[in-house]
Amino acid sequence: MDTFLSEKKRTIRRSVRTFCQREIQPIAKEIDQEASFPWEVVEKMGKLGYFGIQVPKALGGAGLDTVDYIIVIEEISRASAGLGLCVTVHNSVAVYPLLAFGSEEQKQKWVPPLAKGEKIGAFCLTEPNAGSDASAIEASAIRTNNHYLVNANKVFVTNGGVADVCLIFSRTDPNAGRKGISVIVVERGTPGFVVGDLEDLCGVRANPVSSIRLYDCQVPLANLLGKEGMGLRIGLAALDIGRIGIAAQAVGIAQAALGEAVRYAKQRYQFGVPISKHQAISMMVADMATKVDAARLMVYRAAVLRDKGKSFSQASAMAKLFASETSSEVTDLAVQIHGGYGYSKSYPVERYYRDARVTRIYEGTSEIHRMVIARGVLGD
Amino acid sequence: MGIQIIVCIKSIIANGLNGQVVRSSDSRELNPYDRPVLEVALRIREELGGTITALSMGPEPCAFTLNEAMAMGVDRGVLLCDPALAGADTLATSNALAAAIKKLAPFDLVLFGTRAADSDTGQVGPQTAVLLDLPLVTGAHSVEPKDDGLIVERSADGFLECFEVCFPAGLTILSSANQPRDVGLLGIQLAFEERDVKNWNLADLDLSADRVGEAGSATNVLALSRMESVRKCEFLSGSAVEQVDALINRLSASGMI
Ligand SMILES: Cc1cc2nc3c(=O)[nH]c(=O)nc-3n(C[C@H](O)[C@H](O)[C@H](O)COP(=O)(O)OP(=O)(O)OC[C@H]3O[C@@H](n4cnc5c(N)ncnc54)[C@H](O)[C@@H]3O)c2cc1C
Repeated sequence: MDTFLSEKKRTIRRSVRTFCQREIQPIAKEIDQEASFPWEVVEKMGKLGYFGIQVPKALGGAGLDTVDYIIVIEEISRASAGLGLCVTVHNSVAVYPLLAFGSEEQKQKWVPPLAKGEKIGAFCLTEPNAGSDASAIEASAIRTNNHYLVNANKVFVTNGGVADVCLIFSRTDPNAGRKGISVIVVERGTPGFVVGDLEDLCGVRANPVSSIRLYDCQVPLANLLGKEGMGLRIGLAALDIGRIGIAAQAVGIAQAALGEAVRYAKQRYQFGVPISKHQAISMMVADMATKVDAARLMVYRAAVLRDKGKSFSQASAMAKLFASETSSEVTDLAVQIHGGYGYSKSYPVERYYRDARVTRIYEGTSEIHRMVIARGVLGD
Repeated sequence: MGIQIIVCIKSIIANGLNGQVVRSSDSRELNPYDRPVLEVALRIREELGGTITALSMGPEPCAFTLNEAMAMGVDRGVLLCDPALAGADTLATSNALAAAIKKLAPFDLVLFGTRAADSDTGQVGPQTAVLLDLPLVTGAHSVEPKDDGLIVERSADGFLECFEVCFPAGLTILSSANQPRDVGLLGIQLAFEERDVKNWNLADLDLSADRVGEAGSATNVLALSRMESVRKCEFLSGSAVEQVDALINRLSASGMI
């Protein structure tokens, strides 16, 4: 992999890895077990630019490219998938739409504090009756003379418990179906903005995923992102990039599991030899390493296509599908290689196993990804 | 105005494969013990203002080491890079660095680390200072600006030595002096996209070829091989009390307690 990346990209990887090893790894187990959000570390990450990776310098970001972005996400996720989730969702599906579809005033207002990590962003699409079928959302934003009256019940909001700036997908035209959906930016603290209980999740527990409910929130008309009716377009554009990030998260988790598995297989003796000398184990390791590498290359390809201005939607969907399924397989094998100890919280692989599972669900399930990819391949 | 600081840094071999030294950019990184030295320079500049120049000698692939220093906040970088410089021992390295530092004059402060993660001689700083006729404090663990100079502390043989240092001066800094700052993403972006690293060759240094590189080296490494370290495990027998007694006897007999 090394010769593949420029010196600059390797410097980025080295610096992020060093930070994560020192600041995140030692607390990763605790923030997972206690489902706590480590503000202290998040503030440091903000100062280092992790919350504005691709934001232009003029708006307070680091001005890097998509490959740089996935390098950062992989490294953070390798230490803590919950924090990796926080950073990828913030950068991709929260900040990117503001940059791509926001007016100059909107960008000036929201992006700089988000890029510095002083504020945290969230993407609020899913509702109790609208998951894979995003067009079924019921949230409404009724335009009055000088504001939108927003009512919404959003669930499974990543960063929900800490988010300051929320992209709320809502219906501005109840009769226009898919074309009636718009994105309204709602800030925490707006009267009627309520953060629900945190989800007690299986994995990525350091992330305060929660519901967010809006009760008759009066939101300025100036908070409409893009134009009315553009909601789904904005959402899909954001998810194309978000998926590369989730794929990178999956690779990071898998890499962590592979590393632990290799270490353990060389240390654990059974039948007089390290278990890595048993062919069954060494073949598992070979498959794991190969799949992680393949997944990473797919993620890089999607990122490079985007950086070159080429169409990357299909590559991003394939990378997300393959990386998330690989992550599940590799973490499962890492548990297997650890035997009983792999099933104990004394070792980190059970956490990786739980963390990997969700990458096949959010930002589009594997089934939805297969549908999308098949449509592309078959030309339907 | 402020002060002009020069920091000498090294790119080291991070992961020699099977004991073989492979010089490619893949296996190199900024000597980790130089980071606290850069941190000292950055903190002094924060108080006194001025410019920091990072100076390194090595083949072209080492240039990124200077970018990394610039990502931390250093203003400019100079890489001494010439085939004639290859194979240098510490003396030939010091000759080249001293010539470059003279060319960078005027300067107030020259900083070095005390060690390198790949070859731990600790000689380059002191030798270079001698060549420059520069007063030097070695092994400093604390450096604080005061009036027109610095207060520098080092520990020696169980004593704490405290020096008042005026400029120009040289210091070698212990790697335990501080926790160097993390490199931010914007810093890396600027260091690689906007700040430039100058390459100087032998002609720029005004040195004859016999004072540098292998030709200028007073020493020569004959062979390099991995040392075998033998570890063995022994089980003590008897009751718990007997085992503990035996352990205490052994540890005290070997001078460990
Ligand atoms: C930890 C976590 C964080 C999340 N963060 C966010 C967030 O920040 N913002 C946000 O908006 N959402 C978020 N989500 C929601 C996530 O995107 C949805 O859970 C996901 O899109 C699936 O929707 P659903 O849960 O309603 O499942 P459903 O859509 O009900 O799917 C149930 C099952 O049916 C399958 N299925 C559905 N439709 C089809 C079909 N047409 N063909 C074949 N199979 C189908 C699915 O693949 C799945 O297996 C998060 C979820 C989790 C768990």
